[in-house]
Amino acid sequence: MPRLADLRALLDVRQLLVPSDGSPASFEALAQAINVAKRSRGSVVVVHVIEVKRTLPLDAEMADEAQRGEEILAECERLAEEMDFHIEGELLQARESGHAIVDEAVERGMDAIVIGTEYRRPLGEFQLSRTVQYVLKHAPCQVWVYRMPARTGEG
Amino acid sequence: MYIIVVGGGKVGFYLAKELLDEGHEVLVIEKDEHSPRSTFIAEELGDVVLKGDGCEAATLEAAGTGRADMLIAVTGDDEDNLVACQVARARFRVPKTMARINNPKNELIFRKLGIDVTVSATSAILNQIEQELPTHRLVPLLHLRGRAGLEMVEVRIPAGSRIIGKEASDVLLPQGAMITLIVDADGNPHLPAGYSVHAEDVVIAVSRVDAEEQLRRALTER
Amino acid sequence: MRVVIMGCGRVGAQLATMLEQGRHEVTVLDVRPSAFSRLPASFHGRKLIGNGIDQDVLRRAGIEAADAFVACTQGDNRNVMAAQIAKHIFNVPCVVSRIYDPIREEMYHMLGLRTISPTKIGAELLLQAIEGGRAGE
Repeated sequence: MPRLADLRALLDVRQLLVPSDGSPASFEALAQAINVAKRSRGSVVVVHVIEVKRTLPLDAEMADEAQRGEEILAECERLAEEMDFHIEGELLQARESGHAIVDEAVERGMDAIVIGTEYRRPLGEFQLSRTVQYVLKHAPCQVWVYRMPARTGEG
Repeated sequence: MYIIVVGGGKVGFYLAKELLDEGHEVLVIEKDEHSPRSTFIAEELGDVVLKGDGCEAATLEAAGTGRADMLIAVTGDDEDNLVACQVARARFRVPKTMARINNPKNELIFRKLGIDVTVSATSAILNQIEQELPTHRLVPLLHLRGRAGLEMVEVRIPAGSRIIGKEASDVLLPQGAMITLIVDADGNPHLPAGYSVHAEDVVIAVSRVDAEEQLRRALTER
Repeated sequence: MRVVIMGCGRVGAQLATMLEQGRHEVTVLDVRPSAFSRLPASFHGRKLIGNGIDQDVLRRAGIEAADAFVACTQGDNRNVMAAQIAKHIFNVPCVVSRIYDPIREEMYHMLGLRTISPTKIGAELLLQAIEGGRAGE
């Protein structure tokens, strides 16, 4: 059983960063982050990272991806509004999502990164995505991973 | 400029760091993602490491070599550096390719194939040393412990040496020097007795330090 | 013909043996002394320990007087580098290089090197065997 002091420590988490790729897991993660932020009177920033292949320069114009990113962020804002909360959304371009997420958390001095992950078994076994692995390994702040429930018949 | 560095060793790391400081876009390609070195580069320099074989077209494709202004190959293997540069030139039309050469003897072939060469540190140092040394030099191998002033040395027999054709055990040597072993051009060892000396043989001798110059002359002069 | 073979693997040893049976003068190079055990006891050609991308080693192997040079080590890069040294520095009239990677093989072929890709040839033969329905014959 967690001690009460530990639960109180959770309430010190005021600034939360939620990476969103538009997946159901990322919306779940956002909802959980908002619940925590409401209790701690904190704030939530959602980032969507556009991964730019090396064949293009980092600042290349990525119209389609940018539009999709804006749509995801708008969806996130709608979800927040439904929960009676206001979030900040940001679109980033980077070579790898993991790096961008950690850099953003460091720059903004975030208390926690809340990241969602699907339950996928691409090669017959559950695998944590490269991005989640990178964030777990390199983020200086707390990292909460929200994993979707396993669906029966999947895999 | 977009500059690709193949090889994430010490040279690759410092090179990448310099280039980044100068404001270039840099990518380091390293075969072993989990090598302590490439982890170190990723941690020190950020998102500039790509795992892969820099000689393989698929890796270079993913690296965006087609838009690179320059590729610099600095692995510890000259053959890998050569191929990385050739693939970059022939397949991806990279305007400038440069290679670090580890063995100075390879400078000519790189230049003949149109690859700029950064003269390796080894070669620069050797050039410096060679000017200080007599033409057919005597290489000290080890000091014999507990025997003050006694050394084991190695001498390559130049074509034209007066001892060629002579039996090694019959060669007139200064006092305090002794031939212990001869290694022929094929790498086979021979004892001095009954073995006649050829050009390019390597003679291993034990000598007093003060007799070394005489020994060198006895073995190499015409 | 005087032939220098770099790499005494199964292919190198087999080729050396066949060339010698055809009364050619053969020198085999390998970095590992144990590799020469693949040669039959009857082999009388020269065996030399050394790395074929070292020009001095190639000289010792008699590259300057060679009519042909074959690079067939396990390493594609070593093979093409040695082959290019033989061709461009020692002007050996016939130079052949084994390259496993079909993409690299194609590229070096375009750059004027005579190349053989066992990967490509092996796959083609297997394909023929399957399509001809005569596998196992």
